[in-house]
Amino acid sequence: MQSANRPTDRTVQLMATCLCDAFFDDVARATVEVLEHVGCEVEFPENQTCCGQPAFNCGDWSASREVMRHTARVFDGSKPVIVPSGSCAAMLFHGAPLEFEKEKDLPTIQKLANRTWELADFLVNGLGIEKWSGRFPARIAFHRACHTRGTGSAEAALKLLESIEGLEVVPFGEAEQCCGFGGTFSVSFPHVSSSMGCLKLEHLTEMNPDFIVSGDMSCLMHLSGLAERGEKPVKTLHFAQILQTALHRHG
Amino acid sequence: MSTAREQIFSSVRAALTPLPERTPRPVFSKDVAEPKWLAAETDSLALFQKRAEATGTKCFTDMEACASWLRAQAVRVVYIPPPLTRLVALCSEFCEVTSEYSRARVNEIDAAFTPSAGAIAESGSIILSDGSTPDRLAALAPWHHIALVSRAEIHRTIADALAAMPADPNLIWVTGPSKTADVEGILIQGVHGPGAQACLIL
Amino acid sequence: MAEQKVELFARRLDHGIQKAVHSNSAAGTEKRYNVLGTDYSAPDDLRRLAGQIRQHSIEYLDTYLEQAEQSLKRQGAHVHFAVTAEDACRAVSDILKKAGAKKVVKSKSMISEEIYLNDHLGTMGIESVETDLGEYIIQIDGDHPSHIVKPIIHKNRRDIAKSFEREGLGDYNDDPETITRRARVFMRDKYLQADAGITGANFVSAESGRLVLVTNEGNSRFCLAAPKIHIALVGIEKVIPSDADLAVLLNLLGRSATGQQLTVYTEFINGPARTDRPSGPQEMHVIFVDNQRSQILASDCREILRCIRCGACLNVCPVYRQASGHAYRSVYPGPLGAVLSPLLAGKKFKELADLPKASSLCGACNEVCPVDIPIPDLLLRLRNRGHQEHAPSPGTPPMGAFAKLASSPLIWRFAMKSNKVMNLVPLEKLPLPYLQPWLKTRTLPAWRGGEFRSWMKSRHKK
Repeated sequence: MQSANRPTDRTVQLMATCLCDAFFDDVARATVEVLEHVGCEVEFPENQTCCGQPAFNCGDWSASREVMRHTARVFDGSKPVIVPSGSCAAMLFHGAPLEFEKEKDLPTIQKLANRTWELADFLVNGLGIEKWSGRFPARIAFHRACHTRGTGSAEAALKLLESIEGLEVVPFGEAEQCCGFGGTFSVSFPHVSSSMGCLKLEHLTEMNPDFIVSGDMSCLMHLSGLAERGEKPVKTLHFAQILQTALHRHG
Repeated sequence: MSTAREQIFSSVRAALTPLPERTPRPVFSKDVAEPKWLAAETDSLALFQKRAEATGTKCFTDMEACASWLRAQAVRVVYIPPPLTRLVALCSEFCEVTSEYSRARVNEIDAAFTPSAGAIAESGSIILSDGSTPDRLAALAPWHHIALVSRAEIHRTIADALAAMPADPNLIWVTGPSKTADVEGILIQGVHGPGAQACLIL
Repeated sequence: MAEQKVELFARRLDHGIQKAVHSNSAAGTEKRYNVLGTDYSAPDDLRRLAGQIRQHSIEYLDTYLEQAEQSLKRQGAHVHFAVTAEDACRAVSDILKKAGAKKVVKSKSMISEEIYLNDHLGTMGIESVETDLGEYIIQIDGDHPSHIVKPIIHKNRRDIAKSFEREGLGDYNDDPETITRRARVFMRDKYLQADAGITGANFVSAESGRLVLVTNEGNSRFCLAAPKIHIALVGIEKVIPSDADLAVLLNLLGRSATGQQLTVYTEFINGPARTDRPSGPQEMHVIFVDNQRSQILASDCREILRCIRCGACLNVCPVYRQASGHAYRSVYPGPLGAVLSPLLAGKKFKELADLPKASSLCGACNEVCPVDIPIPDLLLRLRNRGHQEHAPSPGTPPMGAFAKLASSPLIWRFAMKSNKVMNLVPLEKLPLPYLQPWLKTRTLPAWRGGEFRSWMKSRHKK
């Protein structure tokens, strides 16, 4: 669980995530525009790299701690750290304190953990935004990324999405099930991972939504990659992209 | 034997001693696990009947109805412990009645009445004890089992029943007929114990 | 490239079995969800309370185990202790030998699976019959349970009908009701002839000494109705402070396991038969089994000892649904097993150190756990232990180079930009072994490394 008193200043540090750095600059841009729309000044610490989760999940905690120590140095200070990914955010506020539980510098890591927000969580539960302006006429299926379990992120994202004019969120079966990505799990268990993903796609597309939406590009990359290989491509969007697009359609 | 005991206790203590602090015993109210619908149920007897029926236990409040159910079930030998003379008379009309539960007749006796040690309204469970049931088999082996439940002995909640457990080598809460879903998840009743579970509320 | 064992098993798994495991598990998850939703406005608070009760119980095990021992003795039960699985088996056969017992009926008990009791009794010339329908079918097939609550989730009615025919329980008939009736008749004689009944225990209340057993079939009750001796095998972690704690634990156990408020039979055993209560077994033996549990208690994975064996984590686990229980090569499958089995293996930890990797760390297991065990955290700790002990882990990329790269921002930025070359060559041709399993079933989006950084910079210039 996250700390109760996380900072809510409007000058924020953005952790764009390595996936956005490498593939999804559009999602990172959307995140910046969304944050600016609600009056935030967004700082982007140039030396940021990755949250270290791949090594953490592989069991190589000493390698992961090396990356996390770098990250903690890059994101020094007291401003909120905003992450457009439930998974990377959870790495900062949950995984990092776990891998540092026996380390002397745990307090430094805990300090960073206590400043970390997943984007939707920050908008709704941090800044108190309940409604999003603009229009986005579409039917979407919203995949609750697994690393937001036990946090307010999925509800927060849904609250904003459902407040957008013209947008309809459609239900689907076995909603609690994972998409099968799981980081390095996707390459060390390719059959299980892909089977999970195909099943997830079946459920997500039950009601023929226009878009599959999530707060984690890792899930969406896996799902759209599977769908494309299976020659049944789907359109995916990060929720920040919907928020951003809705704003443009507004005015 | 004592060495194994000492070995286990010493490893348990060795495991626990280094803990900087231990999780305290949580304090909770007795009703913490009561279902949210329970408060609206004011009549324990009615609730017991509702819950019992919902879990597959038939409820009778008069002997005639119970006897005619057994008749319709084509029961051949029924065990009725004394002194239920009225019930004996009713059942004697259509089947053999025995007042002794003999293990030699385990497979012949296809219905049995046994006194219960109460019931639980919240879950529709019947409570049996060695003190109330002369032979555990009598309440288990026959296809039809009818527990005799006294209105005054219906506990409102599971927590109430736990708090009032009598000193008895064996207590059992029976919530419906014996069942299994081992074969392809298909529910089948009467796998080892009664296929038809009932109670007669007196 | 070598393959993960769970992956290999899943890939070769019969499609029909996989489908059956998936649909049965998904149905279990849904039932649990519905009953908890109908009955509680804040089921998570209740799960956390139950978790605290169990965590407290194991962290004061020194106190409660001794108290349970005293309470049991006071009621006239014989209390035994067994350090290892072999000790536990021997304790059972010693009791049986002393009493001249030749025939035993057994109620379903995971710990008896864990110590391979039936094999041991067989070598001692003692007939031991599993009485739970599923477990009986496992026994006659020489198979192993693939789920802790639904042992034959991997079998269909045709498999079972063939086994019954082979065992002389009548001509081939795959009607589930007929199968069940035949088992009823067969078991009836076994119960009546048995010298002893062996059970496990779901809980032992330290204060009252009550042993709690839950079943739906009523077989445990039968095992304690006719035989003269009762032997209960109990893991030392099953102890709870008092009967009052059962109000929380029983309410969650049935709902989590099978979506029932309570299982059909909830039995409280409080000693052997007395002169004024002559119905039950005249001798009662309780064997407390350690078998690595005290070592687990000493480890940083002690939370797994909270487990009350409901099977909800198996049902909800997407990997279990794909791979089925036998993929876990141990008595306890699924997320629970991926934590518990390598720990129970003791010195042979490395042989099962791959199990904690067989998870996408999705956390659904923790979300449904009635005692709120942080299973993903425990899986991660075990992965770290496996890494430190150099346990083999095929398909897991080495992370040293990644860590160097991700701690060197200049090189990182250079790599981000220069990797655009990836867009120019077919990915399948790239000499990146860990990329290939990805590409077999998935495409990758175009590389746009550094684009966001440039955009961000250009805006700040304005």
